[in-house]
Amino acid sequence: MSQFFELTLSGLSLGCIYALLAMGFVIVFKATNVVNFSHASIVMLGAYLVASWNDSLGFFGAMAASAVVCAIAAAALDVIFVAPLRRRAGGTDAVAILTIALNILLGTLLARTVGTDILPSGAPWGAETTSILGARIPQTRIAAAIVAMAVMGVFYVAFTRSDWGVSMRAAATDPEAAALMGIRLSYVAAGAWAVAGVLAAIGGAFFISFPASGVSSSTGLLALAAVPVAVAGGLDSPFGALIGGLVIGVAQTLASGYQDHIAFLGRGLGEVIPYAVLFVVLLWRPSGLFGTKEMSRV
Amino acid sequence: MLKVDDLQVVYGGVRALRGISLEVGEGEVVAVLGNNGAGKSTLLRTISRTLSLHHGTVVSGSVELGGKAITGDAADVVRRGLVQVPEGRRIFGDLTVDENLRAGGLSASRSRRAAAAARVYATFPRLDERRDQRGGLLSGGEQQMLAIGRALMSNPKVLLLDEPSLGLAPQMVDFVGALVRDINATGISVLLVEQNAAMALEVADRAYVLEVGEVALAGVAEELAASDEVRDRYLGVAPSPDVEPVTAPSVPRITTGERTPKPLRAEGVTVRFGGLVALGEVSLDVEPGTTHALIGPNGAGKSTLMNVLTGVYQAGEGSVRYGDDTLTAMRPAEIAALGISRTFQNLALSHTATVRENLLLGRHRHWNAGFITAGLRLPGARRALAEQTRIVDGIAETVGLGGKEREPLSGLSYGDLKRVELARALCAEPTLLLLDEPVAGMNHDESQEMARAIAQVRETLGITVVLVEHDMPFVMGLADRVTVLDFGRVIADGTPAEVQQDPEVLRAYLGSSDTANSVKGDLKS
Repeated sequence: MSQFFELTLSGLSLGCIYALLAMGFVIVFKATNVVNFSHASIVMLGAYLVASWNDSLGFFGAMAASAVVCAIAAAALDVIFVAPLRRRAGGTDAVAILTIALNILLGTLLARTVGTDILPSGAPWGAETTSILGARIPQTRIAAAIVAMAVMGVFYVAFTRSDWGVSMRAAATDPEAAALMGIRLSYVAAGAWAVAGVLAAIGGAFFISFPASGVSSSTGLLALAAVPVAVAGGLDSPFGALIGGLVIGVAQTLASGYQDHIAFLGRGLGEVIPYAVLFVVLLWRPSGLFGTKEMSRV
Repeated sequence: MLKVDDLQVVYGGVRALRGISLEVGEGEVVAVLGNNGAGKSTLLRTISRTLSLHHGTVVSGSVELGGKAITGDAADVVRRGLVQVPEGRRIFGDLTVDENLRAGGLSASRSRRAAAAARVYATFPRLDERRDQRGGLLSGGEQQMLAIGRALMSNPKVLLLDEPSLGLAPQMVDFVGALVRDINATGISVLLVEQNAAMALEVADRAYVLEVGEVALAGVAEELAASDEVRDRYLGVAPSPDVEPVTAPSVPRITTGERTPKPLRAEGVTVRFGGLVALGEVSLDVEPGTTHALIGPNGAGKSTLMNVLTGVYQAGEGSVRYGDDTLTAMRPAEIAALGISRTFQNLALSHTATVRENLLLGRHRHWNAGFITAGLRLPGARRALAEQTRIVDGIAETVGLGGKEREPLSGLSYGDLKRVELARALCAEPTLLLLDEPVAGMNHDESQEMARAIAQVRETLGITVVLVEHDMPFVMGLADRVTVLDFGRVIADGTPAEVQQDPEVLRAYLGSSDTANSVKGDLKS
């Protein structure tokens, strides 16, 4: 029982990290209708920068600097590659495939840079653990959960109260009407990508912290788990990203933790779990847990 | 203030505007009238720089605002003081009323926004009461108020209104008309695009009538309202066009089948979209072999009824029977197999293929060559192809496309494309032909030609034709019976002559403008 409790708690904390990663994915989709696969390599970029800069800037300094760089990099991807295709009437599918290409290119570049090294994130908590009601939880995971909740809270307020939030929601509801009201769609799009970049950097830093060993050439691939999280939660729902993250985080941790009991399913089951959960969720709710159903206009 | 000079616009290969010039002076209200497809929306899109979102291109001509050409995107145009209220209101349904207004004012400075919001709430007390309600939950009239209020948030100098009366109840239409006057009185120039000619001519100083991308008529609104031409176009009270039934068919009979048309009966058909009643207990009787027209203002439910007949929409209540078959219980493909064929309001054709290829596609149900024989081009398949080609060429001839069988659609005129649609529907050898706005976007001559083609088809093939149309002279000249819908209900049914005299029909089409001020008073108090 205590193992179950410990795994669940640890799964929830992993889920918070997933939620951060998936949230960036959801924001870009909501604001610009782009399924952005290049988000995974932005996560890896963020993680790599934190790992390389933590010596000189400290963990939080590196995270802040990495967030700035990732925001600029993501916005640049939108402005340079995605926006021209969108302007020339590229469909959602064409743009999605473009982001797959960007992800492969950027991911390959980063994997080559990282090489065979495994660079630790330099999180100040190291491998320390804390006991909560008898369950041992890594301190980085507790920090991750707190940071994730705080970031999402800030984001929620900005989304519902600020001018930026109003213009983004207006553009998401009806881009043409928003343009007619003087909202600059290109700014809204680039802004959404930049916010996704910030979330990728913060999420990426925790993603590679203990119990993960650090950034390696496969970090980008692992970060793709944000895609099933976002889809399972509902592609256009930030709240769905949170719930999807928690569900998949817990499922994955439980599957890995009880691996020995379910050995007949084979090793490395944990890595498949996000997709298995996604499959089940979509059979039950085709638009994801909290996604809006496709509605045709009357 | 706003000057449009010799504007030509194309979508793909289709010409939408063919050299339009018009002007809106400072402090003026100018109306632009015209049927569906006349180019009204294209004109507005070009002015508000949203044309590229619809993949249209300006071929030539210019649009100037305050003496300077407009450039950039829609957001730039708003910053220069011109804002458009889009057709269908397009409020942000997930945002509250307050947030909708906020979104409208994002281009203005913060200090001006507060003042603008106070003004909008003072003009529309209803919106003030509903500040925190989601826009999508407002009634149609309230949504129109919100859409106009949202546009006023940016303190525009020129306001473009795209069909503000669309789908509104008559009293709301009058309210909108009075509102346009009020807005104009605050010094804002207004370009009003409308299908409701009576309301538009009532509030406008000057008006332009567009027809197939050209300015057909222009002048002082009052004078236009009194002119016979405008009365004819919008009321169909003109002498009926001379459609001479072709008694001696010059083309071979197409139908080889033994099927004959059957009576079509709809009883108490009700369709709801969410809370909106699109059709309320609509009943309809169509005798075999006749031409039956469905008319009514925009949003009356004509296309919805068409979609119920073809099984695309499910009726909530009521039934539709064709002979002994209940259409409301069948799937679209089963209905098509009964010999019911339709055309679409907006062209649904393959533009890269030729006329013949498009028509052969319509023969698909009569094609008996299998996948393998056709794939290997075995003799049987080639014979079948030759046979089918002969048939579709005959059909092309009937509708007036003779000699154009090998031409790709991209090179054809709009009128010809509508004919291809008609021909393709005929390829299925229907006994009941449903035509959704067969002459939308055609000029007078083209629509007369189309009327002749349809009359000839009916005479030659002896089939039933049900058509939905806005073009009154066309309907009155062609139909045996007319059913008039308004707000999803049948308000009149009879011969063209009977329907033309019906006071309810005149009201639905003309509205009654004398109640405008009293209604407006009611709404404001």
